Amino acid sequence: MDLATLKAKGIVRAQTARPPVRAVFPFGLVQSGVHELAETRFGDMPALTGFALAARAEGRNANRAGAILWITQAGLGLEHGRVPDSALRAFSAHHTPRLVVRPGKLADALWTIEEAIASSAVSLIVAEISDADFTATRRLALASGRHGVPVILLMPYGREGTTAAEARWRIAPRPSAPNRYDPRAPGASRWHAVLERSRTAPHLAGHSFDLEWNDETLSLTVVSGLAAGQAAPPAPPRRGPPDALGIRRAG
Amino acid sequence: MRSASAGPADAPPFVLTESGQAGLVVAAANRTALELGIAPGLRFTDARARAPQLLSGEIDRAADAQGLQALAAWMVRWTPLTALDGLDGLMLETTGCDHLHGGEAAMVAALSQRLTRAGYMHRIGLAGTPGAASALARAAAREGVPALLPEGTERDGLAELPVAALRLSNEAVTLLRRFGLTRVGQLYDIDRKALARRFQSRDMADATCLRLDQALGLRIEPLRPLQPPPAHAARLPCPDPIASTEGVAEGLRQLTKTLCADLAQLGEGARSFAFHAFKSDGEVSSLAVTAARPVRTPAHIQRLFRERLNSIDPGFGIDLLLLEARRTGPMSVSAVALSGDLAASDTDDAALAALADRIVAKLGPGSVQVNTPQESHTPDRAEHWHPYDVVLPPPCHTRATPGPRPVRMLSHPERVDVIAEVPDGPPLRFVWRRVVRTVSRADGPERINPEWWRSLPPVVGTGKMPRARDYYRIEDSKGGRYWLFRDGLYDDDRGAAPEWYVQGLFA
Repeated sequence: MDLATLKAKGIVRAQTARPPVRAVFPFGLVQSGVHELAETRFGDMPALTGFALAARAEGRNANRAGAILWITQAGLGLEHGRVPDSALRAFSAHHTPRLVVRPGKLADALWTIEEAIASSAVSLIVAEISDADFTATRRLALASGRHGVPVILLMPYGREGTTAAEARWRIAPRPSAPNRYDPRAPGASRWHAVLERSRTAPHLAGHSFDLEWNDETLSLTVVSGLAAGQAAPPAPPRRGPPDALGIRRAG
Repeated sequence: MRSASAGPADAPPFVLTESGQAGLVVAAANRTALELGIAPGLRFTDARARAPQLLSGEIDRAADAQGLQALAAWMVRWTPLTALDGLDGLMLETTGCDHLHGGEAAMVAALSQRLTRAGYMHRIGLAGTPGAASALARAAAREGVPALLPEGTERDGLAELPVAALRLSNEAVTLLRRFGLTRVGQLYDIDRKALARRFQSRDMADATCLRLDQALGLRIEPLRPLQPPPAHAARLPCPDPIASTEGVAEGLRQLTKTLCADLAQLGEGARSFAFHAFKSDGEVSSLAVTAARPVRTPAHIQRLFRERLNSIDPGFGIDLLLLEARRTGPMSVSAVALSGDLAASDTDDAALAALADRIVAKLGPGSVQVNTPQESHTPDRAEHWHPYDVVLPPPCHTRATPGPRPVRMLSHPERVDVIAEVPDGPPLRFVWRRVVRTVSRADGPERINPEWWRSLPPVVGTGKMPRARDYYRIEDSKGGRYWLFRDGLYDDDRGAAPEWYVQGLFA
């Protein structure tokens, strides 16, 4: 049987090759496929959000541009608050329009994700959902692979078990970097990210990364474990007059 | 057209009552009671005197109105223009619709047959003007004997009817009877001025003349339809009733094709579609979908309906499918950019609108939202969420925020118990969501004053004075980062000691 016959029978399909995902950080996060980010403890959702937005700024690739679809399951939005547009601006130099959908039920949220992947109208889908079983993640992974729309799932701390996603990260906030100008003030955000599962780099499963977000260069850097601690001397107890702090007026 | 619930012919006399000015009054009566001379308007005690075995119940006007509305919705199968006429009548504008059913007589016969099958007692009048049709239905038509009047013959046709058929008030009818004017025909020859002079009030005279003119077609009576007529509609009668969902889907496929071909000829698209399935037992199931921009792609419209097509229960069979297009408008037929580099923007508006349509069709109107940034320093006011309608908000041109802003904003600021230096030190420890958090580092304050042009003191509704907020960026010992604010200053004389709130969370 020659190639033409195989093609006619649908056994062989011509397909443009997708660039392979390199087995380096962030392992295709935001570039392709479905990736899960899970909380370490209850209340780590801001760190998850920050990590996702930072990874988006870091992994911003030229071949996909366009709107973001942000899906928040109704209950989770009440618990952790919503993501304002100012956060997107803070994490990216470019303006990206965003559509927000707040479905009430998990099934509706998963349906919305799949529908959005199939439409290929958006460049990235971020979904905050309470849970997803293996079948659901498999469906999303297949659809994402077929249409090339990356998906990030932000999930609560109880997320365990099998998944068909490319990777599962477990994120926790770390004390921030020392602030050069004011030792008593928090500095650049730092997170502790554990790569729990990975299909791209299975040998790195369980590997942890300490990451720091630089909000001036909009870049994510891996910091060494040593520097992750409190490098600056602890803040002296404040005894001076309160007017030592500059007050910025606005409004 | 007039209808009322009926019972079997040999049922015991039964009336529905309502409380009038002088005790209970008969509001409606069944056939047996009517034959005994018990008519609506009679006092209930008189009615019981005529028929001691009379059964009665209280009338439920609200349920009646609802039933009439449902019946009016079902009437869409005959004509798109249906209106309510009083408490017990429906008005159908059938101009141009009768040929679909084989002429006026055939249409009225078919309508009568269906109403009888559904168990409605009804009287049908058909004439060139709404007033004449109403008069015929109320005075000339009998059950099973519709009264039809060819157009232009209203004057002769109405002459023998009682004046009460003209929809006049009871007082006007009594007054006319006192002058010996009982038939409509007697009013024709009386001079209008002379007629008006006989009434005490000018309003009553005007009303009588108006009703007469409307019945004769001298003055136009506009119909107030329940639903505005659709811009386009396609109908599919099914000689063999459909009993399966697949059949409905196939019918929808054909209808969308027809309708989209019609729209394409005019170069238009529609933003709203309604799909009605008429069952043979006299019920109707309706679905409506909306699109963010005018569309006329059959596949897209079918997809919008597909998720909810299961909610149509075929029951004993569906014998008519109807698809209506509303809110039509010109389609934007700009060419798609050949390559991404040539496109005006990064987003494909058509694909995005199609996606939003499908989500809205599944999750309900307003479920896809976008944010338009507002020029306000107050974090509560900086965002304005509204339903997505094709236009994406422009990029924010306001200058950068004065300070760092959190990555998550709570929907409402949440109160926290705080230990902080008085008067304006940062918190040292606070309790939020019942967890004690020890502050390790803090930055601030960033003062945001209330917008005086918006909230003139005192704030309407709460009676409180607007207070300045001091925002602090806080990090606790576990790495959690918060945006806290103190609502007010200690020495601003604007209420009690200020309280602390969490507004948002930093990444």
